[in-house]
Amino acid sequence: MGWRVALAAAVLAASVVSHAAEHQHPAPTVLAPGYFALEFPAPVPGSYQLPPLRDAANGDVLDDAGNAKHLYDFFGDRVVLLSFIYTTCSDVNGCPLAAYVLKRVQDRAMADPNLRDQLRLVSLSFDPQHDTPAVMKQYGARLRAPEFDWVFLTGSSDAALKGTLDTYDQSVYRDESGAISHILRVMLIDKQRRVRNIYSVSFLHADTVLRDVQTLLLEAAKPAQ
Amino acid sequence: MNRTRIAALCFASLLCLTARADETCMSPYMAKIVGQEDFVYVWTLGMVGVGDEQDKLVTVDVNPKSKSFGKVVDQVSVGGRNEAHHTGLTDDRRFLWATTLDTSRMFIFDVHTDPAKPKLVRTIDDFVKTTDGIVGPHTSYALPGRMLITGLSNNKDHGGRTAMVQYTNDGDYVSTTRMPVDGALQGAVKTGKFADGYGYDARALPRLNVLVTSSFTGWNNYMMNLGKLMADPEAMKHFGNTAVVWDLHTLQPKKIFDVPGAPLELRCAWGANHNYCFTATALTSKIWLIYLDQAGEWQAKAVADIGDASKIPLPVDISISAEDDLLWVDTWNDGKVHLYDIRDPHAPKQIFEQQIGEQLNMVSESWDGKRVYFTSSLLANWDKTASTGSDLQFFKLYAWDGKALTPQVNIDFVKEKLGSPHQMRFGAYSLYGLKPPAGQLAQQ
Repeated sequence: MGWRVALAAAVLAASVVSHAAEHQHPAPTVLAPGYFALEFPAPVPGSYQLPPLRDAANGDVLDDAGNAKHLYDFFGDRVVLLSFIYTTCSDVNGCPLAAYVLKRVQDRAMADPNLRDQLRLVSLSFDPQHDTPAVMKQYGARLRAPEFDWVFLTGSSDAALKGTLDTYDQSVYRDESGAISHILRVMLIDKQRRVRNIYSVSFLHADTVLRDVQTLLLEAAKPAQ
Repeated sequence: MNRTRIAALCFASLLCLTARADETCMSPYMAKIVGQEDFVYVWTLGMVGVGDEQDKLVTVDVNPKSKSFGKVVDQVSVGGRNEAHHTGLTDDRRFLWATTLDTSRMFIFDVHTDPAKPKLVRTIDDFVKTTDGIVGPHTSYALPGRMLITGLSNNKDHGGRTAMVQYTNDGDYVSTTRMPVDGALQGAVKTGKFADGYGYDARALPRLNVLVTSSFTGWNNYMMNLGKLMADPEAMKHFGNTAVVWDLHTLQPKKIFDVPGAPLELRCAWGANHNYCFTATALTSKIWLIYLDQAGEWQAKAVADIGDASKIPLPVDISISAEDDLLWVDTWNDGKVHLYDIRDPHAPKQIFEQQIGEQLNMVSESWDGKRVYFTSSLLANWDKTASTGSDLQFFKLYAWDGKALTPQVNIDFVKEKLGSPHQMRFGAYSLYGLKPPAGQLAQQ
């Protein structure tokens, strides 16, 4: 995992420089737990419940080839991890954390055929002005393993995405300079298109995410009562 | 300092753990206001004979640069008196949940569209029915995309056995998790004499996957006149004596500790290597530390006295500084605030004490630790009624310079026809990429 820490450190360094330009006494950034080994034993898959939180909403999106799609085109046949991101996000504990954790999830799932064949990662940009399908294709190429089911989506416009973001409570604000602030959210969605967990910066870690995915797969494999 | 940018940065990362100070009572999952807060939202109990007599959310302008600094700028009455008590903000800080202990109604306010004018957008009237009999929603604590609500009671005997409940941020019910009790420990280790199944507050240390809960008392007691309650030995037996350490991810109880005398508010340390939380016991007047020991086991022990326990000062709210060096402790009965040096969490030392009012309940400090807010009301049937002055039901702001509290704002909530002020939460335009209306700030 050395290269990953180096990557995070590089992003962190850039972030600290950026902060230093803004504040006389910048506070050091603390890397999110997702960058490190889990400080507690990961839960045992199947030993706990993930009650449905809500139905996962549909929405109009573009894939990285520019084709018009619906989010539901990517839900239902697999367990999905849906991440809301934008590619120019420089906060080390924001979108880069999501990319880092999902890549770790991908790497681990690649080694487990059951996970590899039943899990899909979906990264949806909420900055369609910059993140065109071509940009998402380029962004995805740096993260996606060739054999893994990880799709990179965007919207045709801010307006086209707004309804989708609202239904997922994904708040995004732009200041006068156009800079984006947002809350980091990754959604775990089961094959019935229900949100079963939501991860934010303090909670997003590959170990716990994978245990949750396995818990859903075990649940789905149980014979009907 | 660029307040907007700092708030925005923290909104993006939600991990400003090393910042100078904080809004110390909030969930670590939540965006923080690290500069000057613009508003304090005060959840206020309706009082008979005062104003419209209804529970209401009162908004106070607390930005010193504002032309309405120190004034009530908005109030939203919710209909009737419900025993308004605590409030909590969702993790995206767009909505404020206000809970009630008598009717168990919960009110959800939009505080992001116009932070100066919160709007009631949803009322949950079926809490007891939906949660399978839980009564008295108390703490509303932000988890990612959802709210964890602690109950105080139940509809079977209206005693203290209760549960925690999860709702989505939109206000849809998710699940009920019973507190561990003798006969249904749910796999938890009972380390002492008690497994009472009571509830009160909840706070998390997500880095360690830990949730801690405390325990108060049931509807039978918190709705009883305080004098009558104190004179009823049987009723006085029915107070919580436990704190529980939970697995946060799975919401499964792990360890139940004896913490005698109704442990109330919980505040967990913020430091990256500070593996502990504090609580204060109302009836036994002690500060307790719940901590991870050198062997990696969670423990609980009393670490300091609060005032003279024989005089029943009744410790209530506490507030920890972001650097984990100070702990404010209010004592309701004598109206005093006590400040403890907690740099050694195993041996807190009182370093400051001041009379704030005739009674004192809640304390909230700003992100930078320079401003401390107080309110007075505890419970409708416990509050003092025979006032010796005009210092009974108040909202107060003090400046803290490290040595002294200097009065800045004092609002008499009875004189202003508002009611009894309880929980406070902070609001700011900058959280939502907004600016105050043109001309609102005297000093731009």
